[in-house]
Amino acid sequence: MSVIDTPAQGSSTPERPRAFIRPDGKEKVTGLGRYTADLTFTGQLHAAFRYADHPHARIVSIDTSRAKALPGVFAVVTHEDVPDVRYGGMTQDRRLFAKEKVLWEGDVVAGVAARTVEIARQAAALVEVEYEVLPAQPDYVANMAPDAPVLHEGWAEYGADENLVRDGNVMSRYVIAKGDADAAMAGADVVVKSHYVSDASQGVPIEPRALVAQWTGDSVTVWSSTQVPFAARSGVAHTLQIPESKVRIVVPLLGGGFGSKCDFHFEAHVAILAKVTRRPVRLVFTRKEEFVAPDHRREGMDIELETGVTRDGRIVARRGRMVLDKGAYTGEGGFFAQMAAMHACGPYKLDTVRVEAFLNYSTNQPAASIRAPTAPQACWALEQHLDEVAAAIGMDPVELRRRTLVAEGDEGPAGQVFEKIGAKETLEAALELIGYDAYLRGELPDDEAVGVACGWWPCFGVPSGAYVKLNGDGTATIVTGAQENGSGSVMGLPILAAEILGMSPSDFSINYQDTDAGPWDMGSSGSQTTFNNGRAVVEAAQEVRAKLLAMGAEKLEADVADLELADGTVRVKGAPETSVTIADLAGTGEPILGKGSGEVPEAAASDASACVGSLGMESFLAPQLITHAARVKVDRDTGVVRVLDFAAAHDSGVIVNKVGADGQVYGGVMMGIGQALTEATWTDEEGRQKNPGLLDYKLQTASDGPRIQIRWIEIETPNAGPKGSKGVGEPPSVPTSGAVGNAIAKVIGRHVDQLPMTAERVWLAANSPAGEDQ
Amino acid sequence: MAVDITLSVNGVPYPLTVDPHASLLHTVRGDVGLTGSKEGCDDSECGACMMLVDGRPVNACSYLAVQADGSDVTTVEGLSDGETLAPLQEAFLTRGGVQCGFCTPGMLVSATALLDRTPNPSEDEIRTAVSGNLCRCTGYDGIVKAIAAVAAERAAQG
Repeated sequence: MSVIDTPAQGSSTPERPRAFIRPDGKEKVTGLGRYTADLTFTGQLHAAFRYADHPHARIVSIDTSRAKALPGVFAVVTHEDVPDVRYGGMTQDRRLFAKEKVLWEGDVVAGVAARTVEIARQAAALVEVEYEVLPAQPDYVANMAPDAPVLHEGWAEYGADENLVRDGNVMSRYVIAKGDADAAMAGADVVVKSHYVSDASQGVPIEPRALVAQWTGDSVTVWSSTQVPFAARSGVAHTLQIPESKVRIVVPLLGGGFGSKCDFHFEAHVAILAKVTRRPVRLVFTRKEEFVAPDHRREGMDIELETGVTRDGRIVARRGRMVLDKGAYTGEGGFFAQMAAMHACGPYKLDTVRVEAFLNYSTNQPAASIRAPTAPQACWALEQHLDEVAAAIGMDPVELRRRTLVAEGDEGPAGQVFEKIGAKETLEAALELIGYDAYLRGELPDDEAVGVACGWWPCFGVPSGAYVKLNGDGTATIVTGAQENGSGSVMGLPILAAEILGMSPSDFSINYQDTDAGPWDMGSSGSQTTFNNGRAVVEAAQEVRAKLLAMGAEKLEADVADLELADGTVRVKGAPETSVTIADLAGTGEPILGKGSGEVPEAAASDASACVGSLGMESFLAPQLITHAARVKVDRDTGVVRVLDFAAAHDSGVIVNKVGADGQVYGGVMMGIGQALTEATWTDEEGRQKNPGLLDYKLQTASDGPRIQIRWIEIETPNAGPKGSKGVGEPPSVPTSGAVGNAIAKVIGRHVDQLPMTAERVWLAANSPAGEDQ
Repeated sequence: MAVDITLSVNGVPYPLTVDPHASLLHTVRGDVGLTGSKEGCDDSECGACMMLVDGRPVNACSYLAVQADGSDVTTVEGLSDGETLAPLQEAFLTRGGVQCGFCTPGMLVSATALLDRTPNPSEDEIRTAVSGNLCRCTGYDGIVKAIAAVAAERAAQG
């Protein structure tokens, strides 16, 4: 194991600047790089949508004649203009354009293409839709009552994953059962019950999404600000019923995603408008649309937890009931019940478990992957609950975690036996960085406290592919299906290939984000680019290495075993003057290229025989472990919380690209603090968003940010990615709000049971009499 | 009713005919053709469109093109010749101040304005100066370090 620290700003030992800068960096700092909304096409038209006028209504009729008659309008399309197919991840429950019903305020009823954006929006407003208005059903918990009207009335007919347990408005149900939790609970020394509720929140990339579609013959190219171009390609092909080979998705520079740009979204809407008008069609979202229209936000969650412990801190039973708001449609979030249940267990030794999670339909904006879907809310609840448990047995909450965190050989909730992991090491590291001992000694003012929270996140092993080809000038190009959304793959992939080929990372260019160029890849999602595509790049580079060594052996009349690749040459070990440059070998005209995918690591075996609705995530592949510690200051008069100091200790395996990994933590922690304190989508009684803008949906600014210290616990992880790496993008948001919540509770003497923990909620918790609900 | 104006953008004069309601941002991105400045909110909340108008940072999405008639406008494209990067641009890259890059143009413009008026800012002053620029990727750490590093280098050079 090794440890790498990143000193905070203001430290006496500032870091040296990096020599290898991001290959896409220069175009980004000069303003010359093109994001999707920066593209213009000769003859282009502008698209606008007509969204649902009610969160829940039956469509009686749609009349587009007035919209079509508006001068400057080239097309108005509805469900009648596209194939009658449904789409969606684990349940195919949505159409491109609503047909029988609208199920949330962002449902798309019609699309317009017009000469200007203004005309397009005007025409969208002129589409006449007659509705039979139905009661909105935003209460996702109430929707599972037996007499609640079923939102997807015909969904027995929908295509769906066979492992989904469906019932009424319950889109899926998942149960983790280990041993007899009821009996164990009855025998516990102390039982603690908690109830926490999290509001929905948003990904909020600073770039609102943009798309342009253009047809050439019967093929369409869509430039899209998507994190997952191959999923977008599949979506276009399926919904428009054309072969995937006729669809090309190109991603220009991508202005952030944080999960919100995962999944197929609007590519087919724009493609059909371009097809009908025989013109390029462009769609750029307003900030309000970026909040309201994507079927993608962080899910609201209602969490009941119950833990039975012995007085010396052994967890003998965990019961839980979690209800998640799926919103109107499944999208790619069908696995959320299972993921949430795993996070209600957490990286702890639990003798027995019974956690049940429900993923329910509602007439709200659909929930889908936002940076570590389900984990921040579930972890926030569990970690505060654990502090309550510790208090109930009179133990320091850190000591309870010391005694219960998993280590090598321990068994997970569904029977996974853990290999080498650094959960406990992250705990000790975070405590040291935050100065926990000083806090325990009472050295902080009485309006400050330190809170600690632990969490975990899996790696996702999926196929991925890459080519590496050498160029005649001795440089190389990585052609990959992987995606860069600010996540750093443009740096990590060259670093991996360079090491194998004895070249410099800056010798590599990347051809990526184009479905016609690179092999299939899952996209920038699931913290898995280095884990999976890194493996592919390594294998491709190994093939190139073998070819270079063979060519070098012939040229130098030496044995391959005596050769090495270094400094851009093939040379004899111990006699570097006997060498040939890679440029010479690559410049002969003979193509030198390698391809790779590598063997996909498999998740550890688990015993899910007692589990229900299994979707394959009962065990966590190469789990990433995290401890966050926050020092906060609470203004008791106003409830305003400020995070002053923050320590983030992560086991993400071996760090391939430190500047990139650090960046993920800094950004993820700030996003986590936002979600802890200010970020929520507020809705009216029918589920319509009340704050779809950056004034009322408050992100953290530079002035809000704490001092953040990072420590990497580099464990030799079995079954990991290249060089022993694991994922890094999502974990930094996982335990953040739990750490902040535990710190707040220590100051005000009570846990805030709603997320975000706004000033108002903190004040109410601090000022309500003991024993009274807020 | 269109209005004739002249914008000087990064030292180049552009005689333009614009709608009176056209924003400076749309005019520069559309009529002038410089797309470095971004639209993130169209509401002065995110700062991705930040430009200097006669040396003063403004949210160009909420500033009318006609207001800038006769003014010197500087966008991110004007911070360097594109070959030799300005010290702030270089520092953003070497200190981890750039990830997705969408906020970067506005952030660089705000940072430039800060160092022009406050050559040796404290960390608090740096954070305040860019608090009108939202970044979702970096947690602001690399950005603050980059601005501080450039200020320190300038101070060392006297």
